[in-house]
Amino acid sequence: MTSHLDPLSRRAFVERWAKTTLGVTVLHSASHSMLAAEKAAGNPAAGPGFGKAKNLIFLQMIGGMTHIDTLDPKEGDTKGPKDPIKTKAGLQLGGTMVKLAEQADKISIIRSMSSKTGVHASAQYLIRTGYEQRGTIKHPAMGAWVQHFKGASHKTLPSSVCVNRQPNNGNGFFPAAFSPLPILDPDAGLQNSQADVSAEIMQKRMALLDKLDAGFRSRFQTASVKSYTEFYENTVKIMSSTDLEAFSLADEPDALKEKYGKNKFGQGCLLARRLIEKGVRCIEVASGGWDMHNNIDEALEDRGAEMDQGVAALLEDLSSRGMLDSTIVVLCSEFGRGPKINGNAGRDHHPKVFSTMLAGGGIKGGFVYGASDKGGFEVADKGVTVQDFLSTVGWSLGLPIDEVVMSPSNRPFTVGDKGTAILDLFA
Amino acid sequence: MKTFFWITSASLIAITAPAATEPPVPSAAPNSATADNAVYRTWTDTQGRKLEATFRGFQDGEVYLQVKNGYVYKLPLDKLSPDDQKVAQSLKPEGLGIPVDPTLAQAAAKIDFLVEAGLKHKDQKPNPLASDEQFVRRVYLDIVGRIPTREEALELINDTSVSKRAKLIDKLLASDGANSHLFNYFADMLRIADVANKGRFYTYQEWLKGRLQENVGWDKIVYEMMTADGKLLDNGATGYLLRDAGMRLDNLSLTLSTFLGANVSCAQCHDHPFADWTQKQFYEMASFFGGSETYGAKGAKGGSDKKAMAMAVRSLEDRRLQQQAKNLLRINAFEVEDKDENDLKLPDDYKYKDGKPGETVKPKLVTWSKDDTHLRAYRDVTTKEPAELRAQFAKWMTAPDNPRFAMTIANRMWKRAFGVGVREPVTDLDDPNTASNPPLLLHLTSEMVRLKFDLKAFMRLIYNTQAYQREATSYEFEAGTAYMFPGPVLRRMTAEQAWDSCATLAVGPAVDHFKSKRAAEYAKAMKIDFTASNLEEQIKNALTAMRGAAAAGIGGKGGKGKGKAAMRKRMMAQEEQGSEDGEILTRPPTLGGMVLARASELPQPEKDQHFLRQFGQSDRQIADSSSDEGNIPQVLMLMNGDAQAVIGSPRSLVVQTADKQATPEEKIESLYVSFFCRKPKADEVATAKEALAGGLGLSDLTWVLFNTREFVFIE
Repeated sequence: MTSHLDPLSRRAFVERWAKTTLGVTVLHSASHSMLAAEKAAGNPAAGPGFGKAKNLIFLQMIGGMTHIDTLDPKEGDTKGPKDPIKTKAGLQLGGTMVKLAEQADKISIIRSMSSKTGVHASAQYLIRTGYEQRGTIKHPAMGAWVQHFKGASHKTLPSSVCVNRQPNNGNGFFPAAFSPLPILDPDAGLQNSQADVSAEIMQKRMALLDKLDAGFRSRFQTASVKSYTEFYENTVKIMSSTDLEAFSLADEPDALKEKYGKNKFGQGCLLARRLIEKGVRCIEVASGGWDMHNNIDEALEDRGAEMDQGVAALLEDLSSRGMLDSTIVVLCSEFGRGPKINGNAGRDHHPKVFSTMLAGGGIKGGFVYGASDKGGFEVADKGVTVQDFLSTVGWSLGLPIDEVVMSPSNRPFTVGDKGTAILDLFA
Repeated sequence: MKTFFWITSASLIAITAPAATEPPVPSAAPNSATADNAVYRTWTDTQGRKLEATFRGFQDGEVYLQVKNGYVYKLPLDKLSPDDQKVAQSLKPEGLGIPVDPTLAQAAAKIDFLVEAGLKHKDQKPNPLASDEQFVRRVYLDIVGRIPTREEALELINDTSVSKRAKLIDKLLASDGANSHLFNYFADMLRIADVANKGRFYTYQEWLKGRLQENVGWDKIVYEMMTADGKLLDNGATGYLLRDAGMRLDNLSLTLSTFLGANVSCAQCHDHPFADWTQKQFYEMASFFGGSETYGAKGAKGGSDKKAMAMAVRSLEDRRLQQQAKNLLRINAFEVEDKDENDLKLPDDYKYKDGKPGETVKPKLVTWSKDDTHLRAYRDVTTKEPAELRAQFAKWMTAPDNPRFAMTIANRMWKRAFGVGVREPVTDLDDPNTASNPPLLLHLTSEMVRLKFDLKAFMRLIYNTQAYQREATSYEFEAGTAYMFPGPVLRRMTAEQAWDSCATLAVGPAVDHFKSKRAAEYAKAMKIDFTASNLEEQIKNALTAMRGAAAAGIGGKGGKGKGKAAMRKRMMAQEEQGSEDGEILTRPPTLGGMVLARASELPQPEKDQHFLRQFGQSDRQIADSSSDEGNIPQVLMLMNGDAQAVIGSPRSLVVQTADKQATPEEKIESLYVSFFCRKPKADEVATAKEALAGGLGLSDLTWVLFNTREFVFIE
């Protein structure tokens, strides 16, 4: 009979049910003891780096970032268009990563990531949520998990924002208000935040709206209708707040904008830093155009250079403001690209081995974890799954990554789907 | 069922011809199939013969009676017994009124029968039939993609004829709006974008629009896409394959999931973890495309001679011109070409025992059951010629007896009407038995074949069912449980529906008239004969045309030209350009600087900040990825953006219409009909009146109605 309940009352129902029959709280960290039996990964309760990060910047290279030309350079047959760069920090980077090389002392690279999915949509879903895409449930992205465990990060500002991408149900099975606020163009920021009538008129309008729409809202008590009502409430809150300037890059010095790169990814990185300063906790920034099947050298000159500039500027900026210790910055992509150059001078999808980058929030600098083989075909050492990767992020944010949380449909889920946090990455 | 034929055909005309296959007889109570329309009574004619039937209406001296298997009979009133004549004149018609088409009533009844059998199986009841007010709003949104104007809504509501719903469905399906809305659906499914691979795909979208306009069968449309040859500039149908130029495995993966509901995508890289597909099977399918080149055509078969083109470009002395010529060359090289050699090989990391890395793969069709190979679709595939393989595949894929082709499009069209597919997700029909109602899915499949893939005929059928014309389901059904179709689900408008509805509120049906035409002009400007001697002149001409197009917003990068003035200027420039070409283009209506053309006629997809994108229009990077989620920027746009300002402005049609009414009550009613297709209730009038007296104007009231959930959701 739970089917007619909305997610919140269903959650309340599950919670009550769990309390009375199991004697546990499902949704809070007190449930460790009871559900410990379901632990698969067996992560320790605390350890190096745990909870060091308060904020998260999650950089997504959409399309499948070539690992060989960025984070895992190779010599020999599979080498890309440019020679690897030897950084002062010791690790090597792809030839396009000129500026990131200067910041190499701040980053760790995992070179032994692998997954089973070579299809964009499902692989993107996997690396964002840790779960395989299913028709029957939506899984939360990291921002929603943090909000679930830690509560809202700010009174009026949203706890999560996504830049250059749609939220795609980032709230998962959590309430719609946990979904990241989308900024599709960082330059434009949050549009339409000012009403074009006086506050008095707006108040009257809102009161009338509430009355005239009441009949419909009570007839159709579906999750989507309710989530709209919730969005209206949150929107009104944000409109009346003084924090709106958080979304505007107008105050940022032009030189700094130039430094990040005047493109959607660069400005997105700048906006991410700004939002963290103002109290938003998790920001996803997407960069499209990494599906380089054709003419990869040309494509890298655009996308690769943008990424290099944006990430390097972000790390330097965060560091100089003393924000890097409390902010974990991760860079990932749904999969890597094949070591062999194809007939069209490009590289094809390659989920078998690829690389991710982490920095800040207690992550070691100049460190490489795991390795691919000589050509960049397969994992050679210390394989890392997408689940391990996300569990590591959750760990750094101090989330109880082994804690089982029941969805409203009463199915069990964990941050990073029972992955193992890689504690070696933490200083 | 035949026992009902007791009145001779001379005295009673069956307006439906008995179809070859009777619907299965329900094993339980026979009334179950017509649960809420259960007013079956025994009718007696002047000769004392009896018929058990439900009353569907009385019009022009004829009585319409529907028997339980769906047949609808009409007979002159005076053939009924005097008592029943009185009944017929006094009864309120049951159900949806009289169908206009002789074959339709029974076909729709069969679907209803299967839906209701499914509901009964799960012990559920169908929703009540929707009111005319609910119906007219929903059917306009579902078929033509926008709300009706006040006049259009009132036309149906005030129509007293019993066949009015069926007639409206026919009228809407025949209108241009239906093509526009169907294009929006396929644009999302096929990732139709103005710009892809750094080229402009105008010819592709206009080709598709043309096919929909002509109502070409879905099988033929898909066949044309799969087999198209030549340059994109000449043949828009090549756009499907060129959308993924040089990425034939990705393209195939999408082809299989989009058109066949075959969930093979994982098999691109390895054996499928859950389903039965193997990586070998995937490559065997890919082998049908191994003889087709979509990137860097070599000119082997009279196509573009790339060498000559490259040489011609090198011969140019001006460096800048050379660079621009290269871009033109690239655009001219978008081409699909068949070769004599099949170069599809197993990948270098192939790890299974049934093949070796780098080995060539023979084309072989997948099957869903072991008997499939006996089907005609399979037997017809015989050739081994590389250049013919693609056509063979297309023929197999679009054959009426392909095990999944008709099923996939039928399930998609059903989802479009009801909000949920019989099987979800629509891209995975590997096991139809896991559908919520397998007999329904199979029946819809056979109807799609019977109707020869005529999508409009198929839509006509499902929109005429009782199942569709029921009230929307008002409760949440649990994720993961099967939806049995007690009625359509409550849906939020798609981005395109919402935008087109805004435009309708502002300017009325004029929104339907503007058609964007860019392909012919673009192709003419870009096409270069690289073998001709006047190359430099050609390139300069093309560049001039390109710059003109960029200024007009049809060839530019769609980037920074923000702002209302720029938008208006761009659309006006577009008109001028069209007229230069001797082509007459209607200027799209603009109000407050907004270009109020239908979404299908605006840039594909729109820019990030546009209403359409903020409301969830797909970015056309991932198939079927439009969104119906709310979010804060979207609500800010609804509350403070351009659309509400334009709709509430004194020049907007909806405000002007309301303003013409004499009393506040009538003004309020006018707005309610415009926004919701219904009259306000007494308490709503009172509340609104009080607000109008308390400092709010009509413009504020439009703001309020625009921001209701009732506006953005489709009952």
